[in-house]
Amino acid sequence: MNSATTLRSILGALALSAIGATGAWAQEKITVPTEEGVAATEVPADAIVVNIAKMKYQTPELTIKTGDTVYWINNEVMPHNVAFKKGVVDEGEFRGDMLGKDEAYAITFNEAGTFDYFCTPHPFMRAKVIVE
Amino acid sequence: MAFPREATPKYLLLIGATLACSALALGTAFAQGTPTPQPEAPATAAEATPEAGASDVAGGNGDAASGATAPEDAATGPTAGQTEGQRGAAEAAAALAAGEADEPVILTAPKPDARRVYIQDPAHFAAVTQQYVIDGSTGRVIGMTDGGFLPQPLASTDGSFFAQVSSVWSRIARGDRTDYVEVFDPETLQPTADIELPDEAFRFLVGTYQWMNALTTDNKNVLYYQFSPAPAVGVVNLEEGKFDRLLEVPDCYHIFPASPTVFYMNCRDGSLARVDFANGETQVSNTEVFHTEEELLINHPAYSPQNGRLVWPTYTGKIFQMELTAEAATFREPIEALTEEERADNWRPGGWQQTAYHRQSDRIYLLVDQRDEWRHKAPSRFVVVIDAKTGERINKIALGRDIDSINVSQDAEPLLYALSAGTQTLHIHDAETGEELRSVKQLGRGPQVIMTHDMDS
Repeated sequence: MNSATTLRSILGALALSAIGATGAWAQEKITVPTEEGVAATEVPADAIVVNIAKMKYQTPELTIKTGDTVYWINNEVMPHNVAFKKGVVDEGEFRGDMLGKDEAYAITFNEAGTFDYFCTPHPFMRAKVIVE
Repeated sequence: MAFPREATPKYLLLIGATLACSALALGTAFAQGTPTPQPEAPATAAEATPEAGASDVAGGNGDAASGATAPEDAATGPTAGQTEGQRGAAEAAAALAAGEADEPVILTAPKPDARRVYIQDPAHFAAVTQQYVIDGSTGRVIGMTDGGFLPQPLASTDGSFFAQVSSVWSRIARGDRTDYVEVFDPETLQPTADIELPDEAFRFLVGTYQWMNALTTDNKNVLYYQFSPAPAVGVVNLEEGKFDRLLEVPDCYHIFPASPTVFYMNCRDGSLARVDFANGETQVSNTEVFHTEEELLINHPAYSPQNGRLVWPTYTGKIFQMELTAEAATFREPIEALTEEERADNWRPGGWQQTAYHRQSDRIYLLVDQRDEWRHKAPSRFVVVIDAKTGERINKIALGRDIDSINVSQDAEPLLYALSAGTQTLHIHDAETGEELRSVKQLGRGPQVIMTHDMDS
C-alpha cells in the first residue's frame, strides 16, 4: 500500500541533497510527508482536515491554496484511504495508506488544479480537492 | 485481437481413444447385442442392447467422448438398465464384432438446444478453471472449455455462440495480467474470437455472479463490469472483434440489457440506473428507490433478456420484480416467496445462484431452507415454485440434498438444474414434479454457476 510517488519523493530528495539543486521536483503535483498513516492526535490544531465517516468523505469538495497540506482523518473502524486514478497526480495511480479508526494521512498539494480522489476498496466514496 | 488459439479439443481425441480402449475391454458382456457399425452416427442405447429396454438416454447424441466424462451412474432414470459407460462399451464391442476399424477423430458437440446447460466451476478461486457443457436431456458431458481466474460465462439467447470474460497471468498466478473476451463455436467449441481488454479497462474479479456481465439483446456486444478504480461498464464489440470503450456509470452493480444499447444496473442508493450508450455517448438516469436499506437484495437475481423480467429476492425471500424495456423500468408489486409461518420458523433463501425464472410459464424458482439469518451462502435443500404474476405458491420441492445453485431450461417442459458445489454434482429434476431424473458427477472442484440458452420460443 505504499506510494510510488512518495518513494520517488524520498529518492528525489536524496538526489537533490546530493547535487544541491532545487528545481527538479518542482513538477511534483503532490508530496506525502509520511508514507504511513499517523495518529489523529498528531494532526496540527490548525490543519486543514477532511473527516471520513459513514462511508463518506465529509468534505466532498475542498478548496485550498498551492502548498497547503490536507489531513484526512478516519473516524470509523471501517478502513479507508485516499487514492488517485492514473494521470491525476502522476502518470501512474497513487494509492495512499489504509487508515484505521483515528488515523490520519497527509498530502501536500504543490500545483493548482482539481484533484479527484476515491477510496480504493470503496470506489463509490469520491471527493475532490481544488488547489488554487 | 488474435485468432484463434490452439484448439483445446486435443484432449477430446485422447479421451475418445481412451474410451474406445476401455469400451473394448468392458464391452464383452454386450457383444451379443445387435451390431451397429455406424461410427459417424452412433446407435442409440436401445439399438445397441435391446435388453436394456427404454431409457431416458436413448436417442441422444451418442458420441463417444461424452461417455468418457459422464459418470457411470449418470443419465439414468429409475428404470433404465444401462449406464453411459455400458452403452459406450456395447457400441464399441458391436463395432469390433462387425470388423469396424477404430478411427480416432475430434468430435463435435450436438447443436445447442434449450436443454443444453453450462456449468462454470470457479474452483474456489483457483487460477485456472473449467466449464462443462452438458446435454440436460441425457445428463451427458458433451464438451469442456478452459478459463482463467474467475471467468464470467455468457450464452447467446439464440444458441449461436457462448463466451467468457476471463483473466490470465504470465506466470500462472503472478506476472503480467491479461483480461480478454473469448467467444466459442457451440459445436466445435473452438474459440472464434479472442479480444484483449486494455489495462485501464480491467474487469471486476469477484465470485462469479451471473449478471455481472451480459450480452446485449442483439448478441453483438459483451458488457462487463469494472469495480475499481471507479464503477464502469466495458463494451466489447463482437462484430468488429475489438474493445469499444469504458462507460462511466454511477455507484451501481450488475448489468441487465433491455435493448442493443440500453441496460439497467442496481445502485447503492436503492434505485435502478438506466444506461443508454447509443451513438458513442453515455446517458444515465435513475428510477425511483424501490427498496429500503434493510431489504438486502442478493447477488444472484434471475433475469430474462427475452422478456425483460428481472426477479430479485432479498435475504428474507421478498421478491421484487421489474419489467425492463429500452424506455423504462416498471416495478411490480413485491411478493413473498415464503409464508409468514415459514419465515417465523427460520425459513430463508440461501446458496449461490438461488433464483431461477421460467419465461414461458412465468414461474419463479427459489432455493430455501431453515437457516440462521447470516448463513445466506450455505446450501439449501428445498426449492419453492411461485407464480410470478400472483405470487401463489405452486410447489415446494424437496431436493433431498444440499444444493448451492439452481436454474431451469427454457423449453415448454423445463428441467430444474440443481448444482452442488460440495459434491461437484449436477442433479437434473423435472421442474413440474420435482422428481430427480439423472445426475452428472465430477464437475470440477466447486461448480457454482448454471447457464442456459433461452432459445425455445
